[in-house]
Amino acid sequence: MTKETFLHDKHIALGAKMVDFAGWEMPVQYTSIIEEHKTVRENVGLFDVSHMGEVFVSGKESVEFLNKIVPQDISKLNYEKAVYCQLTNKNGGLIDDLIIYKLGILEYLVICNASRIDEDLNWMVRNSKGFDVKIDNQSHNYSLLAVQGPKADELMRELGLSTHQESFTIKPDKIAGIRVLVSRTGYTGEDGYEILVENNYSEYLWDKILEEGQSFGIKPIGLGARDTLRLEAALHLYGNDLDENTTPVEAGLSWSIPKDKKEYYNGKEVIEEQLKNGGEKKLVGLKMLDKSIARHEYEVYYKGEKAGVVTSGAPSPILGANIALAYVKNNKEICTGTIVQVMIREKLHDAEIIKKPFIQKRNKIKL
Amino acid sequence: MSIKENMLCSKSHEYLSDDGDNRFTIGLTDYAVEQLGDIVFIELPDVNTEFKKGDTFATVESVKAASEIYMPVSGKIIEINEEVINSPETLNEDCYEKGWLVKIEATGDVSSESKDLLEYEDYKEELE
Repeated sequence: MTKETFLHDKHIALGAKMVDFAGWEMPVQYTSIIEEHKTVRENVGLFDVSHMGEVFVSGKESVEFLNKIVPQDISKLNYEKAVYCQLTNKNGGLIDDLIIYKLGILEYLVICNASRIDEDLNWMVRNSKGFDVKIDNQSHNYSLLAVQGPKADELMRELGLSTHQESFTIKPDKIAGIRVLVSRTGYTGEDGYEILVENNYSEYLWDKILEEGQSFGIKPIGLGARDTLRLEAALHLYGNDLDENTTPVEAGLSWSIPKDKKEYYNGKEVIEEQLKNGGEKKLVGLKMLDKSIARHEYEVYYKGEKAGVVTSGAPSPILGANIALAYVKNNKEICTGTIVQVMIREKLHDAEIIKKPFIQKRNKIKL
Repeated sequence: MSIKENMLCSKSHEYLSDDGDNRFTIGLTDYAVEQLGDIVFIELPDVNTEFKKGDTFATVESVKAASEIYMPVSGKIIEINEEVINSPETLNEDCYEKGWLVKIEATGDVSSESKDLLEYEDYKEELE
């Protein structure tokens, strides 16, 4: 049976088209994916992302434990800060990608993908043997709302956000009178916030944000636009662009990995070697040179030979072109500016490798 | 939205409307278009290509995915709608009048091939 978030009835009342996503019945669109996409780029949008997992990690050895399961250095993560991380297996393959927040002394919040909660928990518990640490899955008790877009900050202030928050920070606050955890993070490439709220208050908060957001042109945004927004920003989707046979280096995530971390972490040998020499494959951005659209699992060709595979592809409403992410052989010849071909319904279509992200991200702006 | 007269619908959501003289217009039903959402790309076959009932003859892509479109009866393509190739959103706006896909000349026995096709009202009922 599919699961429903506490906002399910709100989505139905708003006329959302519902689909199954990772075992959850979620809104894919309310009106139109393109319209919703543009709302987030131009004004502000509200997302229900309550399907995502919230796991609290605490205890005397929580830093040591977290340092074993991700390549990032959690000992350097400051209070109320967030860091983008990867959960790696012994071969350096990706079990999931995560955001880890430091909530207090020896207290961390791990946000993981809905489709990976079970695998993540299983892996975390197995790796916690011998560590004085408590792993507490609270996914069923919290709803997660995302407010994203250039007008998100102004709207959050209207709603009562009391302090200035830098990008990648988290703070307890009151929004519309409700006690929540607010982080300045997102999955759209825009400035924005994510609000963690107890399930019982999520409907009230959802309504308040839509009500107060009216003057900012707010709209509820479904998973369809969430996908095109994250693709334009070249943010990875687990299951499409990331899997257990792909390392963070191959996925283009080397920027997120410290080169000087002393502690051992799962897959360290492989990842350190790849940081020097690269992996078997590399993730590139594609722009189709005709009207065709490259989709997940379509093959990529270079000089007549199979050279890779598309992992995500869609029209970009902002660029007016069709874009994609693809893994290609880690070959110096295949780089930005190279023309490759994508096999679409038994015909080859030209695509140019272009720089990622496809749009200028605006979520790192410091005010 | 106005639906066509003399129209039958397939369970895979194509409509077949009778233009007389063994000629037919094929398109996607309003239900199909609504389900697909914003249509952004349409690939149609060349004129004179022949297809059997059930063959894939076109591809319609929404923002999210590509969908194959099937022949409701066997036929030869005699005209394709260039307008929907240039402006795929025409399907979202008007799938019956401006947003048709192809016109065909039937090559099989239409009365027996259309036995599994439904009147619009029955098709609608089937969806519920």
